[in-house]
Amino acid sequence: MSRVSLRGLAKSFGPVQAVKDVTLEIPDHAFVTLLGPSGCGKTTTLNMLAGLEKVTRGEIYLDDQAVTQWAPHERGMAMVFQNYALYPHMNVFGNIAFALQLAKVPKPQIKERVQKVAKALELEALLERRISQLSGGQQQRVALARAMVKEPKVFLFDEPLSNLDAALRTRMRSEIKKLHQQLHATSVFVTHDQEEAMILSDYIAVMREGLVVQYGPAEDVYRRPQDIYVATFIGKPRMSTIAGHLRVNGQDGIMTFTTDGINLSWPHTPQDGSINAIDTDVQLGIRAEDARVIAAPSSQLADTFTGEVSLVEPLGSDTFVEITRGPHAITTRVEPDRHLKPQESVVVQLPRHKLHFFDAKTGKRINL
Amino acid sequence: MRQFLYDRVRPIILYALAGFFVIWTVAPVLWIATMSVQPEINYVSVPPKLSLADVSLRWYGEMLAQADVAAALQNSLIIALSTMVLCLVFGALAAYPLSRLQLPRKNWFLTVSIVSRMIPSMVLIIPMFLIMRQLRLLDTHLSLIIVYTTFLLPYVIWMLKNFFDQIPYALEAAARMDGCTRLGALFRVMIPVAGPGVVATAVFAFIGAWNEFLFGLILSTRFAVPITVKLSALVSSTFHSDTSLVAATGMLAIIPVVALVFVLNRYIVRGLVEGVKY
Repeated sequence: MSRVSLRGLAKSFGPVQAVKDVTLEIPDHAFVTLLGPSGCGKTTTLNMLAGLEKVTRGEIYLDDQAVTQWAPHERGMAMVFQNYALYPHMNVFGNIAFALQLAKVPKPQIKERVQKVAKALELEALLERRISQLSGGQQQRVALARAMVKEPKVFLFDEPLSNLDAALRTRMRSEIKKLHQQLHATSVFVTHDQEEAMILSDYIAVMREGLVVQYGPAEDVYRRPQDIYVATFIGKPRMSTIAGHLRVNGQDGIMTFTTDGINLSWPHTPQDGSINAIDTDVQLGIRAEDARVIAAPSSQLADTFTGEVSLVEPLGSDTFVEITRGPHAITTRVEPDRHLKPQESVVVQLPRHKLHFFDAKTGKRINL
Repeated sequence: MRQFLYDRVRPIILYALAGFFVIWTVAPVLWIATMSVQPEINYVSVPPKLSLADVSLRWYGEMLAQADVAAALQNSLIIALSTMVLCLVFGALAAYPLSRLQLPRKNWFLTVSIVSRMIPSMVLIIPMFLIMRQLRLLDTHLSLIIVYTTFLLPYVIWMLKNFFDQIPYALEAAARMDGCTRLGALFRVMIPVAGPGVVATAVFAFIGAWNEFLFGLILSTRFAVPITVKLSALVSSTFHSDTSLVAATGMLAIIPVVALVFVLNRYIVRGLVEGVKY
């Protein structure tokens, strides 16, 4: 079990800078996800950590020891790959035992360790099978077994779930989570699926164009996204945004947001470190579970606006409703027994403490 | 009517064409096989009088009893097998980085290597002869092994690179995570996984070396004469020899290749048709 530290990591392929500058401290036992769209450098970062790709610039530390130049197998890490990457010319036993055989572990010991892992992952009956005779889920478990048998300091996962069908993916996701709860091994997981990241991770590093945009506890990343990119990337459904103008003038204790057709205001009490006067174009962001559809008030409240239902998506447990006002649209979550119909007029409340504001130009979060 | 044409007539045409192609390819071989087991008088008559009663293997026995024919077969076997092994070793070592590593001018190298094979062998005969004479390698197995390996290697590299390209990167990455060096990953994972493709390539190299004639003719005189050259010598001296003997020798030259292809048939077809199945 180990701490991992990436310091100023960069990787270029010819003129292409895949990873520009990645610095991450990964605590012992933590499950950390590198999250981002394809081409953001997350897999390259993982490959550098694994030792599969040479580092162009920067250092990698494992428990305060520089391992940047070490060969992959010297780092005590194990990796689970996207397409399983099982050896098709060996049977299940051979696949799991391969690393131990290369490390010249005595035969009886190999057998014992493989048996143990196979038992934990319910593969005992399959040890003599060829890889082509296994189902997708079984192959995935063999891949996990192959990683576990090495008793690695760090587990690396390269989108291991993205090739599975929806039902199997959910099951394997739970299996990985359980595995982490049992072994408490430091794990680094790469995915483009934000839901997967939220469910599995202690910490999330959101990446974009070779840089880490935000790194922190999963809940922080969800609750306090540092810019509009993170805000709209994380969360399902996507966070709704409205472009408009934000004004806080400090003296009257009022905060206003205006855009065509919508005028909102809230009382403003500045807190430590927050801005108490601003007058700028912003993107207002709000999550579906935070915007509320309320019964029409007798007189319009300051933090509400009236809109029209444009789309109803019942999921069973929840219903998501898109409400439009002029060019603006907001998605909200309502109770499934609340039956709204398209074209119906509703009042939406945007509570002050659930709002996110991002600078229209830089996209950075504005802390109010 | 159209459906009838499609269902009934189309297969007939296809099979007819395929049948024609098979006969076209196999007929000369069948004819030489027939000649090799019949006395000459039977097939030079018009029309040929082939007779089962006359079938005999005595011409084979006679040829194999001749020390120089047996030696030529042995020479060809040594040369072709060595060429095959060298082609695979060097080919794999070249194809792997060309398939996997970011190398400057990679495609340039591949193109040049194959373009060099566009030069007619005839042009290279004299320089090759001079080089081998300088190295005192004339009339040795080694000279022919070197020349054949040189000429076959570009094709072998292209074939192997193509097979390696089909193996996912992750498979090799997994091997390296498990403790293989790059070279270890090549021999323990890449080559076994590309198995049928490697076998097809090996057979290709073997046949290429076995069938070569021109360099064999120029670079060997007595001790390293391959069967192709020996055969040609027999044909040109056929005035005062028996055609059945020549046919039997021809068959002896064909049999090892046919046997090899027959034994490895399954892999060759898989390697050439399916590529690497992962």
